[in-house]
Amino acid sequence: MTKTIMLSFFVFFITLAHAQKVEFTEYDLDNGLNVILHQDNTAPVVTVGVMYHVGAKDEQPGRTGFAHFFEHLLFEGTENIERGEWFNVVAANGGSNNANTTQDRTYYYETFPSNALELGLWMESERMLHPVINKIGVDTQNEVVKEEKRSRIDNAPYGRVAYSTGINPYMFDKHPYKNSVIGTMEDLDAAELDEFKAFFDKYYNPNNATLVVAGDIDVPKTKKMIADYFQSIPSGDEVERVNITEDPIKDKIIATEYDSNIQIPLTALVYRTPSMKDREAYVLNMISSVLTDGKSSRMYKRMVDEDKIALQVLAFARSQEDYGTYLIGALPLGDVELSKLRDVMDEEIEKLQTELITEREYQKLQNKFENQFVNSNSSIQGIASSLATYQMLYGNTNLINEEIEIYRSITREEIKEVANKYLQENQRLELDYLPEPTE
Amino acid sequence: MKKIFALLIVCLVSTSITAQIDRSQMPKPGPAPTVNIGEPETFSLSNGLKVLVVENDKLPRVSASLIIDNKPFTEKKPGTQAMVASLLGTGTEKTGKDEFNEEIDFLGANISFGSESASASSLSKFFPRVMELMAEGALMPKFTEEEFESEKNKLMEGLKSSQKDVGTIANRLSSTLSYGSNHPYGQYVSVESVEGIVLEDVKNVYKNYFVPENAYLVIVGDITKKEAKKIVKKTFGDWKKATPPSTSIPAVKPAQYTQIDFVDMPNAVQSEIIVQNTVDLKTADPDYFPVLVMNQILGGSFGSYLNMNLREDKGYTYGARSNVGASRYASRFVASVGVRNAVTDSAVVEIFKEVDRIRNEEVDAGKLEDTKKKFAGSFVMRLEQPSTVASYALNIEIENLSKDFYETYLEKINAVTQEDIKRVANKYLKTDQMQVVIAGKGSEVVENLEKIEYKGKTIPVLYFNKETKKVEKPEFKKELPEGVTVTSVYDSYIKAIGGNDVVSKVDNMMMKGNASVQGMSLSFTRKLTKDGKMLELVQMNGNTLSKQVFDGEKGFTAAQGQKMDYTEQQVKDAKIMSGLFTEQKVSDSAELTGIESINGEDAYVIKLTDNVREFYSVDTGLKLATETTAEQMGQKMTSKLMYGDYTDKNGVMVPMMLSQDLGPQTIDIKIEEVKFNDGVTASDFE
Repeated sequence: MTKTIMLSFFVFFITLAHAQKVEFTEYDLDNGLNVILHQDNTAPVVTVGVMYHVGAKDEQPGRTGFAHFFEHLLFEGTENIERGEWFNVVAANGGSNNANTTQDRTYYYETFPSNALELGLWMESERMLHPVINKIGVDTQNEVVKEEKRSRIDNAPYGRVAYSTGINPYMFDKHPYKNSVIGTMEDLDAAELDEFKAFFDKYYNPNNATLVVAGDIDVPKTKKMIADYFQSIPSGDEVERVNITEDPIKDKIIATEYDSNIQIPLTALVYRTPSMKDREAYVLNMISSVLTDGKSSRMYKRMVDEDKIALQVLAFARSQEDYGTYLIGALPLGDVELSKLRDVMDEEIEKLQTELITEREYQKLQNKFENQFVNSNSSIQGIASSLATYQMLYGNTNLINEEIEIYRSITREEIKEVANKYLQENQRLELDYLPEPTE
Repeated sequence: MKKIFALLIVCLVSTSITAQIDRSQMPKPGPAPTVNIGEPETFSLSNGLKVLVVENDKLPRVSASLIIDNKPFTEKKPGTQAMVASLLGTGTEKTGKDEFNEEIDFLGANISFGSESASASSLSKFFPRVMELMAEGALMPKFTEEEFESEKNKLMEGLKSSQKDVGTIANRLSSTLSYGSNHPYGQYVSVESVEGIVLEDVKNVYKNYFVPENAYLVIVGDITKKEAKKIVKKTFGDWKKATPPSTSIPAVKPAQYTQIDFVDMPNAVQSEIIVQNTVDLKTADPDYFPVLVMNQILGGSFGSYLNMNLREDKGYTYGARSNVGASRYASRFVASVGVRNAVTDSAVVEIFKEVDRIRNEEVDAGKLEDTKKKFAGSFVMRLEQPSTVASYALNIEIENLSKDFYETYLEKINAVTQEDIKRVANKYLKTDQMQVVIAGKGSEVVENLEKIEYKGKTIPVLYFNKETKKVEKPEFKKELPEGVTVTSVYDSYIKAIGGNDVVSKVDNMMMKGNASVQGMSLSFTRKLTKDGKMLELVQMNGNTLSKQVFDGEKGFTAAQGQKMDYTEQQVKDAKIMSGLFTEQKVSDSAELTGIESINGEDAYVIKLTDNVREFYSVDTGLKLATETTAEQMGQKMTSKLMYGDYTDKNGVMVPMMLSQDLGPQTIDIKIEEVKFNDGVTASDFE
């Protein structure tokens, strides 16, 4: 089947050269596909990625795990790529590929030597236009996903903290963030083939996707190829976004979870935080850094080093489109009581709420975030994924260059305010994550 | 001196770009990109430190890594090197720990130390200071007793915490079994070995091995050679020249025969399987490239034999991979996979199948070509990172490679033939000396593992504990579900054979059956009464071979003209055992001990006495077996009577097949006749 294609470009955004800036070109195709191009000819490498605005939070109740399941299913083959051939085609052209799923989006990418750019575009257009979704593929991937769950979560120490399956059910009541990305096996087992097909038709359309091409490319030629392969893909209905407001947590939630793969317990304080687009989410990232990033961070220095009550301290902000979670926690050293760890963590939080961080700590944060910013743009594959994420989830592709300005503009006073606003005792989960008792 | 090698990857036809596309045709790649492998700038210091500098100003950052390429050595107290690593950076002769760490953090830099290495990275504007800090931490450490105790404590806690991690335990056992427990690669760090370490041990290892003789410093990033030289002289110029002690590494012994090495992890939901054998292969060997390609096809990528079989075809796993290491000292072939418990044995079989396939079948020519292209692509992509140039130059130096090793890398890959693949597969995948290391849930996987056959023989299963010591086969108990008791097991048994009402109407019972033993036809008669009397008769052609009688109080065994009264213990056992449907009441000594498998069927185990255990199907409730242990001439003999082929007889389910195992023999008794309340008289029990 051959087709002649006419197309028109809307050039949204072109940033111009500036030292260390990630230049990019962004436009939409007529079918709604958002396209971002980033040219960097220093190494003969190109990444082609497609991000779809569908994640675990878009799943129907009783059908958890669908979004992640697609991440597997859509490697099974297309009308022109036989089942089992996807990976061979990529490998035979010297490329590598992968995909990942979050609560908010699903991302597929291939990285090739730059002479295989057209191949990468063809493959991604095949996946968007007409993947084969059949019983054999569903059955096989169903087993593989079960193994993935076992190896990542069920057989892995602290797996249900790392993947939030032991946390999110407490943090969200109405919002689908309460479910895990990998879903439940019962739901996947119960799903019919037609449901998978319907899910694809609903979410896997060009108007719900962003195509990113980064690396050793020629921009006009690349635009032409993109038009050739993607313009003819029909657009779908507009996707209705999840719009659920959670009531604030008013009373402290106390919970205990057990893990048979661990011997040292963990205690964690978990707070619900705003959307990652929110300025306050950036402030929380800085708070996280103050508390646990590096050996001179407050919690590490005090709990691991000085008081010797913790084997390890941890903090991570899980940034998401609608709400996030922020977790701080510690593993006790020896027989230290978990309540002792909580008391000390509380004292450190209280300090943030009552005193400004020092000028030197503030400067340290600035240096750390600048270092992070420089390093985040160090590989073509990384730049591609960041561009798509900023476009799709933040609505501002140029954040790849501007995000550092947000951090630079955050003040010490803001850090104190946000610590007061979000890190209140009555708004949190106190989780004791314990070794499974054995008889 | 800077040389640039131009390198053409794989020459392929370019397609002209037209407005018309035919998406049923896979696009052909354009002309291969030209790749330049640069060469780093190098210089040495008089203390022996060799420095490599790769300038790349794409991003305003610089990184440095110090690598001391000493020969590995066996630790007297395993864990000492780990302690050196964790104590470096905890303060120096000049700077206290807090101040030291605070400054690194303040600069937004990363500095880390190993027992024979150090690395640092930062924004270029802070790099001169960061190098000073790295050198200070590495060369002027202050090992204090306080930090020593604290780090030791943390190391031991960390070791404890991984005791339930299936992957950790599998890796530990596999290294020890490959290389031997006194080999640097086979030693493992245990809580006990760390406990014995004192501060002096740490200081000695540091003093002996953290020396510049075999050291390389690699600097990559936004920096010129001139700047680098100035900084390195200032920071590492005073490092005192010294040579590490000479040590010898124990020889590696291959496994004597192919075996399964099992370690029980009762918490496992997946088995970690590591199939391995040691190999003698160095990067400089001519076989290096054929082995690289062979492994890529067997298990080096997603599309490999192993992954396509175990993941994509069978859905056993999230991923199966293999690797063949190359080393100056010792290395091994490893195929590893994590699979759900139920398919552990099948996964082992499939791994062997794929290993045999690459050893015996010629690899498809197209597949070989595609694999070569993958190497070409990866080679190009690695060059995206400026550090690659440095690591190539370093490898040439330390691995004794030819100067043009990387320039001709792809030529050598392309020269590999189908015959080469088969040849190196046979040479390096030693299917007669393979260890199949498995960490998994014994109660669910071992029974089938013991049945695996390979090359017409059952693979022996050896058992190990988590500390890599060989042990007797452990008893694998399955966990009992909540709420199950002797009473509930008995209730479901009575229900399964017909229910209390039906069973209660039976006062006595007679069963007659036949069996063939060594060509002779034997007949069996068994009579039981409600009040605990029992008769068992074995006859041949109407002649009695043996007779057992118990009248409720006393009993005897008669055979070959001899009559022996029951011992006290036998009477005790018989009182509990004899009678009809004894499960209607629970005896005081009955105890539910667990779940075990009878011919693959899970059964609740009820221990009646020290010598008698009975097995009831978890699934159907029916009694599957009675196991008795008797002492004969000081030896314990265990035999099982198995009940099968349950059939409805007047409303009661009766086993019509009794199988008695006697040592290696099994006697199958087929029941021909069953009578209730008929054919039993008091004289039967005299």
